[in-house]
Amino acid sequence: MLGNRIAMISLAIGLLVPAFVHAQDVPLRDIIDREIKAGWRKEKLSAPGTSTDTVFLRRLYLDLVGMIPTYDETTAFLKDADPKKREKLIDKLLADPRYARQQAQVFDLAMLTRNHNLVGGTVGYRNRGRFREWLATQFAANEPYDRIAAKILQAEEDGSQLFFAVYNNTDEMVTSVSRFFLGTQIQCAKCHDHPYEPWTQKDYHGMSGFFVRTMAVEVPGKPEITNQKGKQYRVGEKTVGEALFSLEKIDPKTKKKETIPIPPKFLLGDVLKEPETPKGFAEPKLKPGEVPPKPAFSRRTKFIDWMTAKENPFFAKAIANRVWAQFMGRGFVHPVDDFNAQNPPSNPELLKAIEKELVAHKFDYKWLVREIVNSQAYQIEDVGKVTDAMPRFYERARIRPLIVEELIASLHIATGLGVESALKKEPSPDLLKYLGEPADGQGRFQGSLSEHLFLHNGDQFRGMCRPNKGNLPEHLLMSNEPWEAKVEKMFLSVLSRPATSEERERFVKYLNVDEKNAKDAKSAKTPAGQLPGVQRMEDAMWVLVSCSEFRFNR
Amino acid sequence: MKGLLTTAGGMAVANWGALTHSQSLAQEVRRAGKRCIMLYMGGGASQIDTFDMKPGRPTSGEFRPVQTNVTGIQVCEYLPNIARHADKLGIIRSMRTRTPDHGPGGYYMHTGYHPSERFPHPEVGAMIAKYCENPESDLPSFVKIGSQSGIYGAGYLGPQYEPFVVDEDGRVPNFVNPTVSPEIQARRGDLLNFMEQRFAEQRSGEPFAAHRTAELRTLRLMRARQVFNVSAEWERAKERYGDNRFGRGCFTALKLVEAGVSFVEVAHGNHDTHMDNFPISKALYATMDPAWGALLDDLTQRGLLRDTLVVWTSEFGRTPAINVRAGRDHFGRAWTTVLAGGGIRGGQHYGSTDRDGFEVAENPVNEADYVATIYRTMGINPRARHYLGSRPIWATAEGARPIQQLIGQ
Repeated sequence: MLGNRIAMISLAIGLLVPAFVHAQDVPLRDIIDREIKAGWRKEKLSAPGTSTDTVFLRRLYLDLVGMIPTYDETTAFLKDADPKKREKLIDKLLADPRYARQQAQVFDLAMLTRNHNLVGGTVGYRNRGRFREWLATQFAANEPYDRIAAKILQAEEDGSQLFFAVYNNTDEMVTSVSRFFLGTQIQCAKCHDHPYEPWTQKDYHGMSGFFVRTMAVEVPGKPEITNQKGKQYRVGEKTVGEALFSLEKIDPKTKKKETIPIPPKFLLGDVLKEPETPKGFAEPKLKPGEVPPKPAFSRRTKFIDWMTAKENPFFAKAIANRVWAQFMGRGFVHPVDDFNAQNPPSNPELLKAIEKELVAHKFDYKWLVREIVNSQAYQIEDVGKVTDAMPRFYERARIRPLIVEELIASLHIATGLGVESALKKEPSPDLLKYLGEPADGQGRFQGSLSEHLFLHNGDQFRGMCRPNKGNLPEHLLMSNEPWEAKVEKMFLSVLSRPATSEERERFVKYLNVDEKNAKDAKSAKTPAGQLPGVQRMEDAMWVLVSCSEFRFNR
Repeated sequence: MKGLLTTAGGMAVANWGALTHSQSLAQEVRRAGKRCIMLYMGGGASQIDTFDMKPGRPTSGEFRPVQTNVTGIQVCEYLPNIARHADKLGIIRSMRTRTPDHGPGGYYMHTGYHPSERFPHPEVGAMIAKYCENPESDLPSFVKIGSQSGIYGAGYLGPQYEPFVVDEDGRVPNFVNPTVSPEIQARRGDLLNFMEQRFAEQRSGEPFAAHRTAELRTLRLMRARQVFNVSAEWERAKERYGDNRFGRGCFTALKLVEAGVSFVEVAHGNHDTHMDNFPISKALYATMDPAWGALLDDLTQRGLLRDTLVVWTSEFGRTPAINVRAGRDHFGRAWTTVLAGGGIRGGQHYGSTDRDGFEVAENPVNEADYVATIYRTMGINPRARHYLGSRPIWATAEGARPIQQLIGQ
């Protein structure tokens, strides 16, 4: 039975620790392509072609900097005749300050979800803002991932504390740390031993021991400041406190289930060795906004040391899989936070290789991103008969809806307002409400009535499409260029590609109508003094930002 | 899909049907499956003052029971219209539920799950929308009339099944009203169709199809939004339903299920009578009883009751004991919900309480049993399995038992 159990455990998490930790000579991007192709052969899938330059361009901008390319960026790239222009663009965008911002957005959302307490709504959005700024600093400096993870759990740097503020009780801490950093779901074992995993209730409560003393408090601040800039939190750790496990036995005195303390135990590892608590120790009384003084012995620090050690059996694998999923749509293990024996990876060898190389590169995050997006696997085409949004063997580019942050920034770019303006704008409460969570419990996109009603009749999309001070629609309306050139500019600005000849013809026909024509002017309700064609310009822009081609990254 | 032509490229092109013709409405009703109207008594309606009266006992209070059209069933004297329909009612007098607070109680009674589980469980309306919706309908499948009874949402079922909330008088939210003229909408719609069609020719991805479908449903809803406008007919109906928000809400609910909506929730209240229970309750019943009665009348007359389940429920009941301010407080240990229509075997009680109403005497029914009964009546497997990430979740928890005695199958 015991032997069986151990076999199950090693099967479940592949305890094989990388035997050597120096980097291989073959670049990871080549290993990726070799393994992905092997996967296609094994599954008898025909090899897909490579994406066109325009598809690659838009995909890369959205993935690396969180917004579509500007008109100038698009035309410069399409004109460039250098055969290495894709690689050049990747390097350029990885060095762009927007890279850190986008990576911070993705991390924040994956860690804290869209609507959790403290981060939902407008004020909550600003709480995120503070955390995102801190995260962006880390990614901008290309801080090694193990350091970023450690700092989030240490929660000492200003701005880094939101994780514990959001998950401010032991159960949520254990669950979210396990899911995000270890890629495992042990929360089921809180109430019952896991049905198919080695996790028992003792494992769960053993993990709780590391976090039971941790607490986050809000730093009192004037509402007019915290409402604008987000609240501040402090995270501290008490010196005493134990995780308690309820037995089935009822205590005759209290009439409640008896509880016993469970010592901290590393997941699938040892019980923590710790010094005795000083005799007669009493926790000091705390004022609002205060945390306990730093304990002489910190259990949480011990956990962080264990988690980020390079031989940790979960940590590197979890992040390798997560970064892969971020760019390829789907983790080798999917969902990304559910490594278990019943859920084998799609390309086990490749996962192992990425994990090993990542450790050898000392958790160099940007290096990993660079290798993935330089692979042919990332750059495959977006067309074909496959219907799945996230094909299991990566036989077509993944399709994902733009997150609202990407959507609002891209709307600014598309309507010619420029990068500066795109960076300043935060999503409106309506946008968050109607487009914030467009998927079901398994991450499948669902178009909702509310989303489309908002696109049609909310003022945000229409307002941005309407010719207005200095935006692209106004510029097009005023300029003396031929209509063909205007339509071309419109397509390059919004969809990051030239129009097809059929599209050009259709849009020119739509836009080039003399609105002084009585019938049309009347139907468009053009106010007196307004330039003719304003409404049609708005319509055409609206069509381009409402279609699937704009809504998704593919 | 009705009203749509699917082209070779997979692009559906809108083809407007004459939805508001009464004949096509009738066809819709015949073709579609079951529907459900939930009358939600916010604040917690009293059982002892309505369906589980205790005449002669210290807990009885001021109201007297009257005979109904079924021998052996008595209801409060202030429910004369409901008394006429007792033959249709399955009265569950043995609700025993766990949460004496409004928030958690509302969650529990809307989802069948305890809120502490922290998973976003879908509310009953979303589940019914998923399984009973008529994909050909131009209207949303889950409508709440007012948000007074709480919005618990579609959870892991996804945004397609989120409630569509309209005002208490049935008015649709602003975004449903087009902000451009029909001509502009039509011409830009053509242009959008053109773009979508070209894009779809080489791209078969599900998300693209979902986006296009939602766009078409939205256009159809905007066209059909007049269904929500019941003003003209209301003039004739308001005398029977009562000229108040709940009356109009019930009438709108009738019109919506008739037009193909799968689930409509109407809230009434506030029943939270911690003081002066009797005058307040009497006033509440004066609006609740005629509307509910007229709704059952109309559903019966139109032949809709057989396929339309009408639920009368709350987050909990009220204490049998009357407090010092002549009020009744929150009480989950023994209270009442009522089901009618949709195949429910009417004219019967299920379960009972002890003589003062403090405890369930027989056949206790918990939140999950209650929700499972609704699902079973609607033809939904109460153990239907869904996933949140990799975690399986069931429509109702293990051990939930639908009340067979009430389900006429």
